[in-house]
Amino acid sequence: MIVAEKVNKSFGKLHVLKDVSLTVQQGEVVVIIGPSGSGKSTFLRCLNYLEPIDNGYITVDGQPVGKRRLPNGRLVDDSRKNLYRLRSRIGMVFQRFNLFPHQTALQNVMEGPITVSRIPVSEAKARAEALLAKVGLADKAQAYPVQLSGGQQQRVAIARALAMQPKVMLFDEPTSALDPELVGEVLEVIKDLARDGMTMVVVTHEMGFAREVADRVVFMDEGSILEDTTPQNIFTRPGHPRTREFLSKIL
Amino acid sequence: MRFGPIDVEFILGILPFLFKGALITIELTVQAIVFGTFIGLFVALMKISRFKVLSILGGFYTWVIRGIPLLVQLFILYYGLPHIGIQLSPKAAAVMGLSICGGAYIAEIIRAGIQSIEKGQMEAALSLGMSYAQAMRRVILPQAYRRLLPPMGNEFIALMKDTSLVSVITMVELMRSGILLNTTYFRPMEIYITVGVVYLIMTTFFIYLISLLEKRLAISDGE
Repeated sequence: MIVAEKVNKSFGKLHVLKDVSLTVQQGEVVVIIGPSGSGKSTFLRCLNYLEPIDNGYITVDGQPVGKRRLPNGRLVDDSRKNLYRLRSRIGMVFQRFNLFPHQTALQNVMEGPITVSRIPVSEAKARAEALLAKVGLADKAQAYPVQLSGGQQQRVAIARALAMQPKVMLFDEPTSALDPELVGEVLEVIKDLARDGMTMVVVTHEMGFAREVADRVVFMDEGSILEDTTPQNIFTRPGHPRTREFLSKIL
Repeated sequence: MRFGPIDVEFILGILPFLFKGALITIELTVQAIVFGTFIGLFVALMKISRFKVLSILGGFYTWVIRGIPLLVQLFILYYGLPHIGIQLSPKAAAVMGLSICGGAYIAEIIRAGIQSIEKGQMEAALSLGMSYAQAMRRVILPQAYRRLLPPMGNEFIALMKDTSLVSVITMVELMRSGILLNTTYFRPMEIYITVGVVYLIMTTFFIYLISLLEKRLAISDGE
């Protein structure tokens, strides 16, 4: 479903991603862990081209992301239109929710289907109501984001991403901005998605979640993937000394 | 009836003439606001464009227009242009000068407003598959324009007062009406105080309108 080959990315002189390669199968849940500044969020943002990559090649569901390969092997920028279409099939959930504050919860969830997919309003509304019910917020449809708790906002944000009926969901530290008592309700929603067979890449510091839900756990440090293995392996016998050091600090 | 140097009957006598001028002032202001806002939005989008040429052009525009006094710009438009064969009516020169100048200030206000919206809003919109234009129209501008209202209100009031400058290019608005009255009656104290009060009434009404608008927008935002 996702193939990333030798992705490189620099911010000025800072080389934040170094030859990062990762493959995610359909229905797989991959959790990326690592210290802050390891490039894990940047890598996630490259997967839907919110961050343009310097070189390397990424495909999602067989479609090239941002750059397309010519028959002679050269990579060129893909058209904006293709990029927009591709992004509409990749859901993304952000650390800071990023709900649209001028819209109600329902309008937030309807926005993508109406503006991007151009489906009829009545259909978008029915879909949005069903999704809000799915994340347990049917009664908050008319609330504005400021009237919701962090956990509720994040659940609306998940519903908003799902409204585009994505093939893949990307989660960028979805619980890091939440009060501890609100983390559980958001993780529950993500776990439900995993059970439904959604393909997901999750950047998180929630090790319990990784252990329980992940098919694979990827450890990143200083812009490289150092380890890519099962949760059992990484938590019981981490292969790399940096992984061991990192886990000992946070577990 | 007199209050010190003020002869109330004389003032009542000149009011109809001043009101006619005030109507022209309002007309100029409204036109300058409409055209200036269009120019401002356009220039603001140029300035934040990822295309270097556009952002440099936009920056050049605001730099030049904000750096030259409006009075000089009006002289160029009305007295300068005829020498290269472009003759503008006083009205055309006035509206053009005020819109061009107002547009530069409004562009700065809009740019700051757009850039004050958290970066995550654009990212969330893009991640849904929106184009840059859709994200601007559906997500960024609706949020920006509520924040824009207070500084825009100030700019509109400044524009209304700046219309008095076009009196120097023979446009008969409120200020020039006062000047004309004074050449007839030579009673500058009463005439110019009255002109000032009429301006004050108009700007006050304007401030009131904008505060109403702000309240309505705040309600529709759920806050």
